[in-house]
Amino acid sequence: MKRIPGSFSLLGGVIGAVLILLWVGADGYKQTLVTTTATYALIALGMYVPYLMAGSLSMAYGAYAGIGGYAVGLISSKSGLPLVVAWIVGPIVAAAVAVLLGLATRRLSGFFLAAVTLLFGMAFTAWLVDAEGISGGSAGLGSLRKLNLFGWQPDHYDVVVGSTVVVCVIAFLLDRLRMSPWGVIVRTMRDAPRAVEAAGVRVPVMNLVSLAVGAAIAAVGGGLFTYSAGSVTPDTFTLNLVFLAIFMPLIGGSATPWGAVLGAVIAVELTLNFPAVETSGTLILALGVLVILLVAPQGVIGYASRLTKLVGGRRG
Amino acid sequence: MAETLLVGSGLTKRYGGVTALQDVSFSLTAGEVLGLVGPNGAGKTTLVDLISGAQPATEGSLTLRGQRLAGPASRRAKAGLARTFQYPQLALELTVAENLLLGRVARRHGTVWQMIAGAFRGALRPYDKADTLAVAAIAEELGLDRLDRPAGDLSLGEQRLVEVGRALGQDPLVLLLDEPFAGSDAAGVTGISEVVRTVQRRGHAVILVDHNVDLVAGLVDRIMLLDRGQSVFDGSPRECLDSPQMQQVYFGVTETPDDAIEEVDRVGS
Amino acid sequence: MGQLQLWLSALEMGCFFGLLALAYYLVLVGAGFFNFAIGPYAMVGGLCTSYLVLYEEMNVWAAAAVAITAAAALAVVTELVVVRPVQRRSGGGELPALVAVAAVLFAIQQLAGYLFGYTTLPGQNVLTFEPVSVGDTVVQPSTLVLLAFTVVAFAGLAVWIRSTRTGRLLRAVGDSTHAARLLGLPVNRVRLIAFVLSGLLAGITGLLFAPKAGVSSLSGLSWALSGFLAMVVGGTGSVWAPLFGGLLLGAVEVFVPYYFGGQSHVYGLLIVALLFFALKPSGLFVRRVRA
Ligand SMILES: Nc1ncnc2c1ncn2[C@@H]1O[C@H](COP(=O)(O)OP(=O)(O)OP(=O)(O)O)[C@@H](O)[C@H]1O
Ligand SMILES: [Mg+2]
Repeated sequence: MKRIPGSFSLLGGVIGAVLILLWVGADGYKQTLVTTTATYALIALGMYVPYLMAGSLSMAYGAYAGIGGYAVGLISSKSGLPLVVAWIVGPIVAAAVAVLLGLATRRLSGFFLAAVTLLFGMAFTAWLVDAEGISGGSAGLGSLRKLNLFGWQPDHYDVVVGSTVVVCVIAFLLDRLRMSPWGVIVRTMRDAPRAVEAAGVRVPVMNLVSLAVGAAIAAVGGGLFTYSAGSVTPDTFTLNLVFLAIFMPLIGGSATPWGAVLGAVIAVELTLNFPAVETSGTLILALGVLVILLVAPQGVIGYASRLTKLVGGRRG
Repeated sequence: MAETLLVGSGLTKRYGGVTALQDVSFSLTAGEVLGLVGPNGAGKTTLVDLISGAQPATEGSLTLRGQRLAGPASRRAKAGLARTFQYPQLALELTVAENLLLGRVARRHGTVWQMIAGAFRGALRPYDKADTLAVAAIAEELGLDRLDRPAGDLSLGEQRLVEVGRALGQDPLVLLLDEPFAGSDAAGVTGISEVVRTVQRRGHAVILVDHNVDLVAGLVDRIMLLDRGQSVFDGSPRECLDSPQMQQVYFGVTETPDDAIEEVDRVGS
Repeated sequence: MGQLQLWLSALEMGCFFGLLALAYYLVLVGAGFFNFAIGPYAMVGGLCTSYLVLYEEMNVWAAAAVAITAAAALAVVTELVVVRPVQRRSGGGELPALVAVAAVLFAIQQLAGYLFGYTTLPGQNVLTFEPVSVGDTVVQPSTLVLLAFTVVAFAGLAVWIRSTRTGRLLRAVGDSTHAARLLGLPVNRVRLIAFVLSGLLAGITGLLFAPKAGVSSLSGLSWALSGFLAMVVGGTGSVWAPLFGGLLLGAVEVFVPYYFGGQSHVYGLLIVALLFFALKPSGLFVRRVRA
């Protein structure tokens, strides 16, 4: 039988998604948790490409998710276009903004890049508040139209299921992208950019492309969240979220994009779900990240795969 | 007469006040292997950097098959250059196979549109049979096995082999090898010599950098001797070994090849 | 607001940013590392004091002592538990250290919120005396204290770096950690001293600035960014460079919103950052390095 690359992880992801959906059932709060998790996961998946593959930490992802969210809000309130168009326009605009910001910061890396992109995120939030005519100011945009896909109007539960499907599909595709020639080039840029340049790929341009891919994915997540929450404001996608998105792949494991998804599940569970830890969940998460960083840099999936290799090795 | 491939004229490089290379000219014909020899700090790596575009030249120009060769390294790679580095530049977390693959697939991502298309193609169809076979063939030629090891697990000599293999995957017109033998064992030397012959057989050219004339004499058609940034000799290996310049450049140089190998091993690890 | 009031405000902001930048400078020079957790140290200095005074009814000096000690302790923990091990493991790579410091920043922010609450608390005055009037402008005691501390801190550190053995070692260690180690210099001790000093400095700074606009657990991040920018704008050419960077940034922070309104100071900061990083990444005052 021919093996499809990435199918093993996909299987794990789908089983996880099905279990989560069974657990959720008709509980409205849990359904919200799932769409929130999906959003976190998509933002973390977006960051995965430039951050864990190409090795440059851009922190403007709140803005990219926001662009996706406002695309939904604007298309719903200011145009007669079908709402799905927002998921095409949003990612494209986010990618374009990422390219422009990437051009402006093309000579920066490390701390400098992180600082400027953080500032950009803040400036974007400030702009959303200022530009009342477009963004609705601090009140944001609300009362969205319902999605209508060729006559089919998904209800809330359909949206919940749909968001897990989107996450699984994107994680699966990213996992394959990571293994592909494109992924090999981008991952080599991280440690050996001179080699990539010498082999014939213009590194700064490839960097921009990877930033664009990441921003587009985050924008899909932002749109999803806005749709399921029913509104978007300048405070919907906070810097906290960006920090969490940096840590999610570390928690889950940075070797595959699925680690980011697993990290998102853990992060949402810790910060939003357990009433006992409600106030301190984020603290536990932050401390957990530090511990992982210090003693277990491979994250959960890294350990699991080492375990399976160990077991498999014994058997074989 | 064989076609002239690469011509460099008046190449000069200054780093601040240091003149690393002073008015060096050379030409390379198809099927030729040029040895670039000189002591530490002679400017060998600098010349390779200027040719490959890793560093801009202060003065001088290059042509490849009569076309001006300029701009960033990636553009020159597309024109037909490939190189290795004195200190191997591998992605240490990637496998040997992935590192080898880079050379072969880079040219498919040379323009913005190819990069964007490559992202979509990669997500839909990550592996290509022809690529896998080509990588396996290169590994075989070099004598590399266990291609799913991370490159970080390799010895310095093996890392050099991977670099050479990666450059070979680009199918270059001119292959630039910066001290490929440093840190290599006998098998590594054989593998790399094999690659040099292969490129030569294809009618392409090689520039081979080394400290040591004796080591490369059997492999090269011509030797250019560099000393303190200047080209002091250009001729056949035989003539070079007998030349007064050779005596002068290496007179009093106590370093033996073994020392050099040890030094590179130390730096590389 | 009169012009004088504006200038005074800019001066106060400038001193605040300059002090934060000085804390960055110490760690950068001593450990070759941008410690973004300096913003959170300052936040702890301010927030912890306010919390202890308001909710535990502690004397303001005692509260300040506890808060500043806490800030310095956090700096020590950052160096010993996080930065040192991560740097050792990752070698020269910048990304692991960056992610680690982001985690520290986030953890301190959450810890402070958990301990002291998530609301904004008013800052506490360590000294209370009659406000001073200059013309028709009133200068608050907290402003005067902050300005005085700025002078003392910069002058003190300048003297310390120039005329003590440890101060001189700071540069040597930061410039070439590897060589310094080979020479048998006490690299780890010097680094630790740099972290402790920067923690103390940040803690005091946060505490003195808090009366201006209050302090919450979230203040740390924007303070971290402002301090970082001030240091980058100033450069590392001299101990006083961070102060110049801070004053420039303070002027942007105060005058841009005055003339353009709204939240324009954020745009102002972004533009200053982009311009500086693009045109003069080494800052205004560059130290000549002998080759
Ligand atoms: N980036 C640089 N900045 C300043 N000087 C440089 C730089 N690179 C090389 N040099 C100087 O240029 C001269 C030539 O160096 P180069 O590396 O080309 O020598 P080499 O022949 O390759 O020596 P080796 O056998 O040690 O590799 C040396 O004096 C070196 O110090
Ligand atoms: Mg060299």
